[in-house]
Amino acid sequence: MNAILQFDHVCVEARDGNGAVTPILDSVDITVEAGEKFGIVGGSGSGKSTLLRIAAGVLSPGLHHTSGNVSTAGVSMLTVAPKVRQQMYGSSVALVAQSLGEALTSHLTVRAHFRDTLGRDVSDETILSSLDDAGLDGAKYLNRYPHQISGGERQRVLLALALVRSPSLLLLDEPTSALDVGIAADVLATIVRLQESRGFALVCVSHDIGVIGRVCDRVAVMSRGRIVEHGATSQVLTSPSDPYTRSLLASIPRLNVRIREPHASEQQPVVVVRDLTVIRSGSSRALDSINVEVGKGEVVGVIGESGSGKSTLLSVICGLIPSTSGSIHNANGFDLTTPLRDRPAAVLSEIQMVFQNPDDSLNPVRTVEQSLARYTHANREEVLAALDAVELSEQFLTRRPSEMSGGEKQRVAIARALLAHPQLLLLDEVTSALDVTVQASVVKMLASVQIATGMSMVIVSHDIALIASFADRLIVLRNGQVVEQGSAGDVIDSPSDPYTQHLVKLAKTNSF
Amino acid sequence: MNISPQHRSTRIQIFVYCVLGFHAVVALIAPFLPLMPTDKQDSGAMLQGFSSAHWLGTDALGRDVLSRTLHGGRPSLAIAILATALSAVIGIALGSLAALAGGWVDEALSRLIDFLLALPTLILLLLIASFFGHDPFILIVTLGFMYAAPIARVARASTQVLLARDFVRVARLQGGRGVNILLGEVLPNVWRVVFTEIAMQFTWIILAFSSLSFLGLGASPPTPEWGLMIAEARSYMTINPTAVIAPIVMLASLVLAVQALVDRE
Amino acid sequence: MQCDGSELAFRDNGMKNFARRALFTIGAFVSLAVLSFLGIDALPGDGCTALLGRFGTEAKIAECRVEHQLNDPVIVRLGSWASDVVQGDLGYSIKRDEQVAQIILPRIRNTAMLALVAAIMAFPTAIAAGLLIGRFPRSRIGKAINTMGVVAMTLPEFVIATVLWLVFSIWIPIFPGVTVVPSNATFMELLPHIWMPALTLASVVFAHSMRTMKAGVTTIQAMPFVESARLRGTKERVTLLRHILPAALPPVVNTIAVDAAWLLTGTFVTEAIFNYRGLGRLTIDAISDRDTAVILPIVLFSLGAYLTMSLIADTVVRLLDPRLRQHRS
Repeated sequence: MNAILQFDHVCVEARDGNGAVTPILDSVDITVEAGEKFGIVGGSGSGKSTLLRIAAGVLSPGLHHTSGNVSTAGVSMLTVAPKVRQQMYGSSVALVAQSLGEALTSHLTVRAHFRDTLGRDVSDETILSSLDDAGLDGAKYLNRYPHQISGGERQRVLLALALVRSPSLLLLDEPTSALDVGIAADVLATIVRLQESRGFALVCVSHDIGVIGRVCDRVAVMSRGRIVEHGATSQVLTSPSDPYTRSLLASIPRLNVRIREPHASEQQPVVVVRDLTVIRSGSSRALDSINVEVGKGEVVGVIGESGSGKSTLLSVICGLIPSTSGSIHNANGFDLTTPLRDRPAAVLSEIQMVFQNPDDSLNPVRTVEQSLARYTHANREEVLAALDAVELSEQFLTRRPSEMSGGEKQRVAIARALLAHPQLLLLDEVTSALDVTVQASVVKMLASVQIATGMSMVIVSHDIALIASFADRLIVLRNGQVVEQGSAGDVIDSPSDPYTQHLVKLAKTNSF
Repeated sequence: MNISPQHRSTRIQIFVYCVLGFHAVVALIAPFLPLMPTDKQDSGAMLQGFSSAHWLGTDALGRDVLSRTLHGGRPSLAIAILATALSAVIGIALGSLAALAGGWVDEALSRLIDFLLALPTLILLLLIASFFGHDPFILIVTLGFMYAAPIARVARASTQVLLARDFVRVARLQGGRGVNILLGEVLPNVWRVVFTEIAMQFTWIILAFSSLSFLGLGASPPTPEWGLMIAEARSYMTINPTAVIAPIVMLASLVLAVQALVDRE
Repeated sequence: MQCDGSELAFRDNGMKNFARRALFTIGAFVSLAVLSFLGIDALPGDGCTALLGRFGTEAKIAECRVEHQLNDPVIVRLGSWASDVVQGDLGYSIKRDEQVAQIILPRIRNTAMLALVAAIMAFPTAIAAGLLIGRFPRSRIGKAINTMGVVAMTLPEFVIATVLWLVFSIWIPIFPGVTVVPSNATFMELLPHIWMPALTLASVVFAHSMRTMKAGVTTIQAMPFVESARLRGTKERVTLLRHILPAALPPVVNTIAVDAAWLLTGTFVTEAIFNYRGLGRLTIDAISDRDTAVILPIVLFSLGAYLTMSLIADTVVRLLDPRLRQHRS
């Protein structure tokens, strides 16, 4: 058996203080051979991250290994002494965990990180060659601190640190989920290159099947702690046999598949933005002389990467942040640069916004009914009608945020916005934090709401395929400037700006 | 992170609540219990140990230790509760309004908080207690203002974090106004953190007042007060230790119980 | 930004603004000094009533006041006092018939020595203990030290002092119970009398810093970068000292600063119990004597100590976190 990683009927459950038991991994079998590239794809709660951590012998508090055996590089990871396990880290197996927070130590330089892993006397040449392998060029990185380098560069440093002692197995948890599309593609290419030149086995976990598709030869699909399907990547992606895999693949937004038919709007615009500039703290221009109009009943999609100003645009339109110069008017000519507290109630309710993070949108101490009615003063009937519009049943009235999933919380947030009867609904990356299957159903729901109410919408996302399937017109933002505007079809089929062309090309290579 | 077995921590919690309950009950009903009068001096029985007449013995002036100990918490607790309530109100109002207002108002109020924090609290207490006699009202007001500052600082920091959260932004978009948002969205969510700080200040105030009494500047004789009793009985510790140990045990158990309660949060 | 309660409310950024903050500190000190002068002046009585006490008649008090220029308007007295202080003259105590500087300075020296010994005993051990207990919370020694720490923090100072005195002076007579050396004794003469008050003070501040350190370590080690370091193969000792410790120190630095200021200015009870001739003892005596000439410089010293410690703490915290060092954050 040449397997570098072997899971045999592994079962893991979570036990909380009250004695409740939740299965996390249910009889998982995996075999990864030396030098192989293996992917694991699944939604949140599927157990994929736990699986990866167990492969490294890490069992979080509250988790209990009830049966089965895990063997990594010939060592039984869960039963062996901690000292033996610690010896293996970096030399036989390395794990690069999901870095939503900081995976690098903020008060140590890059050089110091290498010194801590390799020993005091490691030479700068060794470090530089390691960084070079990971795609970072130049001695300038040695003395930099983590906050002085970008997200993509930090990920490369983490790769270099993990591989510097040439382990035979590399475990990657969501290696690119925090990165912009273009940078993510580069980092993935680097990972593939490193694997091919050094020959280590790679296990990559992601919620994004596109990532797995580009990196891995074999893939396993996980749902609720079980592996529902596995096989060669090309096979599983083109002809899946399991229903979950099929729904997963079907939920992925594709450039040429429309969820909602485009309409051109003839009527008077709901909001007109002219020459808008917003300067935030420091001297950087978040928005630079923007001109945008949103017609009545129109859906405008705003595409941009981080730092493009897309969220700032929404915040300024609804009045949460002040503009520096330029004008914003609504359909009646009211000046929307007026601060929130000076706007009359009628104007306030015209524009509503839904935010990205489902965990932050609802007050933790309030029930759904209270959150929905508190400021909108809606009566019970209206509340129930709103819940119905977002496809939630009556039993949600008494639920608290801690009792709901991410998708459910976003639906409640949308219902709350709808109860103000807005003419314009602003949606800031509202599905980016959700699983792809949940995202698909929320977007479908939004489409039916738009058709039923005829309200205008501005949807912001980094996912061009998602927006193109939904919006009438597209605006592409880069560094606070509009680089392209036009109908959805035109922008996708024949983009004129090089940046847009680059984004469209990336989106096309990601789909399969 | 270690997780203590659930049943063990619940038992400790119950114990802590019992101790606090005991103190509360004793402080309230002590005058109604069938105890010896706290200032009755029995010159024939000074510094006696345990006896059937005096369960915990007598002090240097022949007064009953048990009775004085059970009454001894009343002055500190009364002052501490009132002063803490005052400091909580001032602190929460100051801190949360500063965070809500932002801008120069926030700057000014933060400087005020810094100023209050810089005051040498104990010296100030000594001065005021010494110069203005043992007037409890002045003491309560002084303590209230001085100990409001740490609470204000915590309230301000927590409020700032809360105001940046999305559900507060939505409240603003749907017409919620300043103070309404503060009361409805912010305070229920920061209450826990602020309460911890308030409980800490409560223990500091109790200790400060007992220390004052120990130095002769708080409760005045013949009032039974733990700090005062410890000061008086200290010199005779080797003859009748109960006169010193009893108030120490009461004071320590009260403060420890509040701290344990706070630790659990 | 962490929401811990030990954050100071100074908001300026970066080392380059150190001068600005130092200036603010001086400004705060001066305004607080003026306020203190006015506040203490407003208290009932003055140096003459302190001297003559109950035995002074109206006439004698009036005579005394004229002699010491106590009838001048407040502003004049404030001005002359301020100019005196700036030139190094701390004033004259009518009651004690001595220059205030002669009275205060030896006491400050004594308390400073006491504070230093207590600080050396308490702070390094608190940091080490907090670090280890935070990293290994389940060890029995750890739990024992933790409990001792909690108890020490909740017992009033006079209780700890009394217990120590009982144990080390009466039952196991190692240390002298009462200090009989005069206040201008040399350091060596003072040494045997320092241990018990220092131990008392050390017990009080040890617990505070230890708990803050422990809380910091517990929070930090749950953060992704700690696990990330471990899973790369970083040795345990290196992780503890180079990754966890510097990240957990900032709140402790603030705690130590506040406690260090307290060690210099707030030790009345301990000094009273051991009759140690330090600043705390002098404060109590001066307050009960109503000797305002002595009280005022003591208050100023307190303010100065607190403000200086805060400034030092802020600076150290900025040095520890590279993110705060840039003047453009």
